[in-house]
Amino acid sequence: MLASQILIDGFAISALYGLGAVGFTLIFGVSGVLNLAHGGVMLVAALIGWFVASEYGTGPFLGAALGILAGLGMAYLTYFIVVRPIQRSRVIPAAEQEIFILTGTLLWGIMIQVGMDYLFTDNPVTMRPMFPGVVNLLGVRTPRNELMIAVICWVVIGLLWLLVNRTRAGKQLAAASINPRGLTLLGFELSNIYLLVWSIYGVLAGLAGVLLASFLGVSSGNAGQLTASAFSIVVLGGLGSVSGSLVAAYVVGYLETVTAYLIAPTLRPIPALLLLVLVMYVRPQGLFGRR
Amino acid sequence: MKRLIQGPGLWIALLIVVVGASGPWWLSAYILGVLTSAYYFAVFAMSWDLLFGFAGEVNFGPTFLIGLGAYGAAILNSTMGYPIPICLVFGVAVALVGGLLLAVPALRLRGPYFGLITLVSVLLLRNAIVIFAGVTGGEIGMTVPDVLSIDANVNYWYALAFMVVCAIILFGLSRSAVGLILQASGQDAIEAAALGFNVTKHKLAAFCVSAAFSGLAGGMLVFYLGTASVDTVIDLSIAVQIIIAAVLGGRRTILGPALGAIVLLLADEALRPLGQLNTFVVSGVALAVILFFPDGLLGYLLHGKEE
Amino acid sequence: MLSNTPILEVEHLNKRFGGLIAVKDISFNIRGGEILGLIGPNGSGKSTVMKLVMGIEKPNAGSVRLHGKELAGWPTHRIAREGIGIVFQHSRPLHRQTVLENIKLALLPDSLLRLVADHSVDGTARAIAERVGLGDVLNRRPSTLPFAGLRRLELAKAVARDPKVVLVDEPFAGLTGPEVAMFSDLIDGFRKDGRAVLLVDHNVKSVAALVDRVLAMYLGEHIAEGTADEVMRDETVRRVYLGGKIETHARPELSARQGEPALDVRGINVFYGKAQALDQVSIHVHEGEFVSVVGLNGAGKTTLFNAVSGLVPFDGDIHWGGASLRGRTPASIARGGIVQCPESRELFGDMSVRENLDLGGQHLPSAAARATQLKWLLELFPILAERHAQPARTLSGGEQQMLAIARALMMQPKLLILDEPTLGLAPVILEQLSKALTRLRETTPITVLLGEQNVTFALPHADRVYVLEHARIVWEGDPARFAAEMGTGYL
Repeated sequence: MLASQILIDGFAISALYGLGAVGFTLIFGVSGVLNLAHGGVMLVAALIGWFVASEYGTGPFLGAALGILAGLGMAYLTYFIVVRPIQRSRVIPAAEQEIFILTGTLLWGIMIQVGMDYLFTDNPVTMRPMFPGVVNLLGVRTPRNELMIAVICWVVIGLLWLLVNRTRAGKQLAAASINPRGLTLLGFELSNIYLLVWSIYGVLAGLAGVLLASFLGVSSGNAGQLTASAFSIVVLGGLGSVSGSLVAAYVVGYLETVTAYLIAPTLRPIPALLLLVLVMYVRPQGLFGRR
Repeated sequence: MKRLIQGPGLWIALLIVVVGASGPWWLSAYILGVLTSAYYFAVFAMSWDLLFGFAGEVNFGPTFLIGLGAYGAAILNSTMGYPIPICLVFGVAVALVGGLLLAVPALRLRGPYFGLITLVSVLLLRNAIVIFAGVTGGEIGMTVPDVLSIDANVNYWYALAFMVVCAIILFGLSRSAVGLILQASGQDAIEAAALGFNVTKHKLAAFCVSAAFSGLAGGMLVFYLGTASVDTVIDLSIAVQIIIAAVLGGRRTILGPALGAIVLLLADEALRPLGQLNTFVVSGVALAVILFFPDGLLGYLLHGKEE
Repeated sequence: MLSNTPILEVEHLNKRFGGLIAVKDISFNIRGGEILGLIGPNGSGKSTVMKLVMGIEKPNAGSVRLHGKELAGWPTHRIAREGIGIVFQHSRPLHRQTVLENIKLALLPDSLLRLVADHSVDGTARAIAERVGLGDVLNRRPSTLPFAGLRRLELAKAVARDPKVVLVDEPFAGLTGPEVAMFSDLIDGFRKDGRAVLLVDHNVKSVAALVDRVLAMYLGEHIAEGTADEVMRDETVRRVYLGGKIETHARPELSARQGEPALDVRGINVFYGKAQALDQVSIHVHEGEFVSVVGLNGAGKTTLFNAVSGLVPFDGDIHWGGASLRGRTPASIARGGIVQCPESRELFGDMSVRENLDLGGQHLPSAAARATQLKWLLELFPILAERHAQPARTLSGGEQQMLAIARALMMQPKLLILDEPTLGLAPVILEQLSKALTRLRETTPITVLLGEQNVTFALPHADRVYVLEHARIVWEGDPARFAAEMGTGYL
C-alpha cells in the first residue's frame, strides 16, 4: 500500500520536476544561459494562474492558460531585460559573461520574488484542481488531478521530443546547441533561434508553474527552492542533456518522495542535495553530460 | 618597500577612519547599530572580493564560510562556555575546513559548475542547521551566553577596529608580492605556471584566507548580536547582498566592496519605509550597475578614465 | 659559443589525443648557444611538441631531459623552475598590472609567505625592461602598449626567468620589418648568453637567418633535418609543402570578363586588437571564376574570408553583385549566396551526415529542390551516401571535409569559399577532393574562392592566383606564371 503510494506520488512529482528541468536545460543547451530566475518565472505563472482562476472565478482552465501566458511573458522579460543586454554588452569582458548572467538572473529572480510577495503576500495558495475527483490506482485513492498532471507533463515532453527531432525548427535548435557558428554559416539568424528557444522555455516553465500550483500549491517564498531544484536536477543529469534531465528528475523525485514518506517530510530535500555534491566531486559533467 | 597606498589615498583613508571613530559623539544610537553591522558586512565583502580577485573564483555562497564560522563559534560558546577568543579561533578552524572542501572541486571544475557548487553548499548548510535544531536552534536560531560588550559605543569601536585591521591586512595582501602571484594564478593559470608558480597551492591559499576572514567576521557578528540564526548569517539573501556590495563597490579592489557594503546597508535602512520593496529597489539598482557599470563605484573612479 | 653536450635532449616523444596521433617519435637535441628551428604547417604537431617540453601537455611516451635530468610528465611550474622558459605566440600579460609589475612577477620565487619582494627585484626588473626596450613605459598598463610592445614584454618575462632553454612560438608573427630585426637581435642575445633556443614556426624563410639548424615536421612526424638551406631544398619537404608537379588549367576568358566583378574586395584592413591581420587587401572575383588565394598559415587567408562572410569587422569596402556587404549579418550574407566552408568545418558532430546535409538545404524553395540537390551531391561524394546515418564526428578527416563541402553546396551558393580544405588530409583524399572540384568547375556555373597553402592542389583548379603574405597581397596573376615564378622562393 505504502509502496504503491510512493510509486504514484513519486511518479507525479518527478514528472513535474522533469518538465521544469527540461525547460532549464533547453535554455542552457541552446543559448548557454543558466537562468537563476527560473523559479521566479514558474512562480509568476503559478500565482497569476491561481489569481485569475480563483479571484476572477473564471475556473482553472482559463486560469491555467493565462498563467502560461504570464510565464511566457516573464521569460521574454528575462531575456530582453537581463540576458540579451549582458550578451551584447561591450563593457562586460567576454570571459566574465557567464558569471554576469548568473548574477544578473539571480538578482532578477529576487526582484520577481519580492514583487510577487508584495502583490500576493507569501501565503501558500493552491489552484482549484482542473480535474476534480479521485481515482483508484493500484489500490490507492489518488486525486485525478495528480494523475492528469503526470499525463500532461509526459504529453508535453513527448511533443517537445517531436519538435526537436521531427521538425525543421527543432533541428535548428538542436544544431544551435551543438555549434552556433555552423548555423550562422548556413544562413540561419541566431537571434531568431534564441527567440524561439526562450518562447518554448516560457511555455514549459509557465506550464510547470501552473501545474505545481494545481498539485502542491506555491508561495512566493518558493522561488529560490524551485530554481535550486531545477538546477540540481539539471546538473545531476548533465547540463544540456534533455534525457539526462528527465532521468535525474525521476531520481530526485523518487529520492524526495521516499525520504518524505519513510524518514521525515522535513528532510525531503536532503538526499538529493547530498547526491548532487557526490556527483559534483566524482563526475562533474553529470550522468549524461556533454560539455 | 612599495607604499601600499600612494599619496592622497592614504590621507583620505585615514580621514575616513578618524571620522568613523568619532561616530558615537555625533550619530544616533540607531545609526551606530546599522553601521556596526555594516562594518562586519564590509569584512564579508572584502573576503569575497579576495577570492574573486585572487583565485578568479566566483563564490555564490559566501555565507557557507561565514555560517560555518558563526555557528562554530556560537556552538562552542554555548555548549562548552569557552571564552570568546577561543570560540572565534574554533569558528575560524571550522570555516577553514569548509574552505578546503570548496577548494577541491573549484580546482577541477570550470565556470558555472563551481558557482553551482557554492550555491548548493549554502543550501546544504541551511538544511543541516535546521535538522540539528537541538544544537543549533534550528530556524529560530540560538543565543550565545557571551557578548563582546553591552555598550553600543564599544561594540561600534570593536566593529570599526576589526574592519580597519582586516582591511589593512587584506589590502596589503593584495598589493604584496604574494598578492601579485595570486592575481596571476587567478587571471591566467597557464602563464602563471609557465612562470614557475604552483597555481594549485596559491588557489588553495586564497580559499583559506577568504575562509578564515569570513569565518572570523561571522563569529564576531554573532558575539555582537548575541544570537546566531540562519537569517542573519546563512540565508541566500545575505549571500546575494554580499555579492551586490562587492559589485557595487568595485570588484578586485578590496576596499571597494567595503565601501559598497556600508553604502548598501545604509541604503537598506533608508529604504525601510518601503517595506519589502526595498529589496526590490536595491536588487534593481544592483542589476542596473551590473549592466552599465560592471566595474562598480570604485572601479569606475579608479580606472574609468584609463580605458 | 657552442658547448658540446646538449642542454636539451628530446627522445622518441609521442602524443595522441583520442584517436589522433599528434606527435610521433620526435627526437632532437639542442646545445647551449644553439638555435633550432622546428618548422611545420598547422596540424604538423610542432606546437604540441613545444607544449610537451613545457609540460602543458603530458607525453604518452618519450623523454625530455634538461642537463640529463628527466622532466617528462612533470607539472609546468616545476619544469619552469628547472630552467625552461616559453614565449607564447599570443601575448598574455596581466592586464591590471603595470609593465614593471609584470616583469617583477617573473622574478618572484614560488612562495606563499613572502609578502615583500627582495629589494634587488626592482632593480633587476628595470634593467631587463631597458634591455628589451620597454624602459620608458614601465608604469603603463599593457592595454596601452602597441602590439610590438606586448611582444617585448613577453620576451622580458622570458629573460627574467633566466632559463637554460627558451621555447619561442612564432616569434615574428604580426611584426613589421624593423620590429622583426629588433626581435631577431633579442633572440640572438639568448644565443650569446649560452642558452639553448627552440624556435617554432610555420615558415622556414622567416627564421632562416636566425637558426643554426632546422627540423621539419608534417602530420606529427619528422620529415627532414639539417641547415635551413638543406631543409628548404629537401625533396620531401617541398613535396609536402608545395605538393608535387604543378599542373594548370586556367580559363582566361573568365578572368578577362569586363564589367563589375561579382565579388570586389577594396582595400580592406583588419585588426585583431593591436595585430594587423590584413593590410590594404584588394581582390576581385568574376562570375564563374575559380580564384585561388595562396599563402602559408598566418598569412591572413582565413581573416580575408571571414571579412567577406561578415564574421569580422573591417575597414574598407566589400561589394557583392554591385551592392556593399557592410552592415549585413553573417547569416544574411550566407543566404545572399556567399557560403563559406571554413578551415574548422563547423559540422554538427552529434548529428548524422543526412541531418547535416538537410540543414544545409533548408533555405531551398521546395522539398523537390532539396531532393534533387541532395541526389547530385551524393553522386559527387559517394562516400557520404554510404555513411548517411552516421554521426558526423565518427567520420574520418577526409570524409568530414567532404561533408562540409557538400553541406555548403546544399545551399546552392553563387560563391563558394573554401578555406584550407586539404589541411591534415592524406594524399589519397586529396585526389578525391580534386576530382570533385574539377566536376564542379566543368558542370556548374559556380564561382569559387579557394584558400590554400598546398599549391599543387590549388593550382589545377585556378583561373587566377593571388599570393597573400603577412597580411598583404604580394602577387597576382595566372597560374602558369605563378608556377614559373614563385615555385622556388615559396618556402
